[in-house]
Amino acid sequence: MPQNTTSAHRPRLAAVVTAYKRLLHGQHVVDRFLDGYGWAGAYHHPAMDVVSLYVDQRGEGDLTQERVDRHPTMKVYPTIAETLTLGTSKLAVDGVIVVGEHGTYPYTETGIMKHPHFEFFEQITRVYKNSGRSVPYFNDKELAYTWDWSKQMVDTSHQMGFPLQGGSSLAVTWRVPSVEFPLGATAHEAVSVGYGGMGSYDFHGLETIHCMVERRKGGESGVEWLQTYRGDGFWAAWQQGVWSQELVKAALTRSSTLAPASPTFTAMFPTVEQMRAMVPDPVAYHYQHRDGLRCTMLLMNGLVRDFTFAAAIEGQAKPFSTQMYLPMPDGRTTLASFFSPLVYNAEQMFLTGKSQYPIERTLLTSGLLIAGVESGFQGNRRLETPNLAAVNYQPNPESTFWRD
Amino acid sequence: MLTRRRFVEYSASAMLAYRPLLRAGWAQTSGGPLRLAILGSVYRHQSNMQTIADRFLVGYPYEGDWHVPKVQVVSVYVDQLARQAAEAPSPFQLAMTGARVAPSSSNKGTAGGLGRDRAVAQQEAPEKPDSISDLSKARSQQFGFRLCRDIPEALRCGGDRIAVDAVLAIVEQDDYPSNDKGQILLPTYDFFQQCVQVFEEEGHALPYFNHKQLSFSFEQAQSMVKTANRLRFPLLAGSSLPLTWRLPAVDIPLGAQVQEAVMVCAGKYDGMDFDALEAMQCMLERRKGAETGVKAVQLLEGDDVWAAGNAGRWSRDLLSSALSRSDTPMGLTVLDGRTQDLVASGVLPQLVKDPAAYCIEYNDGTRATLLMLNGAIMDFNIAARVAGHGLVSTQFFLPPPPNETYSACLAAKVEQMFESRTAAWPVERTLLTSGLLEACLTSRHRLNQRLETPHLRINYQPPAESLLRE
Repeated sequence: MPQNTTSAHRPRLAAVVTAYKRLLHGQHVVDRFLDGYGWAGAYHHPAMDVVSLYVDQRGEGDLTQERVDRHPTMKVYPTIAETLTLGTSKLAVDGVIVVGEHGTYPYTETGIMKHPHFEFFEQITRVYKNSGRSVPYFNDKELAYTWDWSKQMVDTSHQMGFPLQGGSSLAVTWRVPSVEFPLGATAHEAVSVGYGGMGSYDFHGLETIHCMVERRKGGESGVEWLQTYRGDGFWAAWQQGVWSQELVKAALTRSSTLAPASPTFTAMFPTVEQMRAMVPDPVAYHYQHRDGLRCTMLLMNGLVRDFTFAAAIEGQAKPFSTQMYLPMPDGRTTLASFFSPLVYNAEQMFLTGKSQYPIERTLLTSGLLIAGVESGFQGNRRLETPNLAAVNYQPNPESTFWRD
Repeated sequence: MLTRRRFVEYSASAMLAYRPLLRAGWAQTSGGPLRLAILGSVYRHQSNMQTIADRFLVGYPYEGDWHVPKVQVVSVYVDQLARQAAEAPSPFQLAMTGARVAPSSSNKGTAGGLGRDRAVAQQEAPEKPDSISDLSKARSQQFGFRLCRDIPEALRCGGDRIAVDAVLAIVEQDDYPSNDKGQILLPTYDFFQQCVQVFEEEGHALPYFNHKQLSFSFEQAQSMVKTANRLRFPLLAGSSLPLTWRLPAVDIPLGAQVQEAVMVCAGKYDGMDFDALEAMQCMLERRKGAETGVKAVQLLEGDDVWAAGNAGRWSRDLLSSALSRSDTPMGLTVLDGRTQDLVASGVLPQLVKDPAAYCIEYNDGTRATLLMLNGAIMDFNIAARVAGHGLVSTQFFLPPPPNETYSACLAAKVEQMFESRTAAWPVERTLLTSGLLEACLTSRHRLNQRLETPHLRINYQPPAESLLRE
């Protein structure tokens, strides 16, 4: 199907979100299109207009009416189809912004919230099909909570020929220090250390790893197997060196939220015993790629409140490491500025009609999340992942993280 | 006065408490760790002294490693303890009255590092340890350093000769009085002079780091620099802010012509304004012709700040650029999370009830303005108009408490200075910023008058390499 990305006029966008409340992803993302944001040393207004909005769940704290009052060119529609057609019979926008995060939805039996990414996708692509054309599609965070649906979303976007771009802001935010994984380098092992729970922030930890390691020699080769470690099994694996303690240490030295093990100190490096005392429910997704790379995503609630990365890169004497910095409005900042590079990259897709980074990264990280939760559900059993082994792709050689 | 109080003896009970620590100083061993004396105001949780001194005890994160300095902290002097001891009743008085020593009341100072006097305080975790408690005794027991009654003792470790290799001085607010200009009379000069007296007595001077401003008085600050030059010991001073990461990681291109700069900050007078001035100076000193000093300053307040902007004394586009780097816009962002163009919306005068502009005219024609915008933002951002490079703007990144990893950047430079006896940046930078702050507060005291500052004709060359963190 042909794409319509004429640049003669300002692109008109439809926004489809689960909820539009303070500090929810829907607010962070759509507000940036409506009100602009600081970018590259100036206040930037996207050269496009959100003309329609669908909010799946409203209720207390809903900001929809306030935003519509200030931006009357944006109309609220009761269905996703009408949001895309603007009440006509055909697709009437040049791009779609989807935020499937937050809201209140049931959980799968393994414990993942059933965010309606796929349901939204189906309704949106139905309009594309009925209209005989498709437009660029931004999907915040993961694809879907099942592998088949996630895969189907990617396959559909390729079949219909529209750019689908998603993922976490971790992949595009500031890095402290501001470094990039050397393109084509050989990596033997990589880790990320983060916080939050399974089925949510694990996705950020996985994206932290993959925006980096996909740049290694040969590109992404796919993942053969995965095993989740929790509780005592986590600490036993730590001691046995299932993942590199040196890399975890390198990542932790990039953290700016390392909890002091002793209450009178403000910054100290904890011993393993002190970590055990501070982290009651540690999580690790440990997995092997087809090309031999081993990765481990660690969630260490109680120890850190940020996301850091480290890798052993051939030819580098010490671990390569950085922090993916999230200015977090939890008292540290008032503005979740890490949504700015996410929105900027989405704008670039809407303007150029090209994804800024491959959707296969998001497919792989979505699949790893599902496999990680599944392994935990099955008693931390190692799972073979033939589906993930088939996810092979090349990275965008250009860096897309926030650095100017 | 401060100095006199310091010489009053400790009570017998305090001596008893210290008895286990009164052992001989560390023998100087060639090739062994560098022996460090740390002098400071108060060793309480989250004080500057605690966060920086601890880095030399337990290490700090540096360039992807947990770096443990090859430094042995051998002696510590805590001014708060000396002053408490001076104010406490003598053993004789205690014996006569049968009274017990009252707990300290000297706890009014605001604890903490750079971010602590932000307009809106960071939310502190409730389980923090008692921020009033002195930690130096516990640290002394844990790490085996000598806790000293006075500064000469800290340098000599109980012997009769200097027994340390370097001095780290961290003087901060802890019940020190202020003058009528609102300057806190921090005894940085007093600390320094006491060390210099020992250096001169023994003909042996040591590398000296002075945290933050050299002195509230430019005259004293200048004397410190002259003394260091005369006795030929490396003197390094300043704040962490010039050394922290920047978002983005940019600097003024060395030798570029800078027409104007606007820095935005939040805080109190004689608080974080110093850090902001230093951060601005560390970028501007790289401009064409290097640093040639400051011709005049004026501190504006209230509506005069906005009027000066309208009159072109500072540029709105630079303010807009600096604010575009902020992650802490207040007002409606706090209410519902929205992004805001604080300049174009015209909302700044409503958000900032008491703005201040520190207007600086350099001798070479460059203009710089520090805008203190409490109520609008809480972070530190700069924009500069650079010929051939457009606007250069960035945020000086202050990682949150308790880690405050920005001061690890400073600790690394201090450690390198102790080892190499070479200062990573000229102390003249801190001399100039100390003088700038004093001059601005004097302008404020004189009803915001513009002041010529011939004494600030300070020339120096910037470090050849940017100290920007990678």
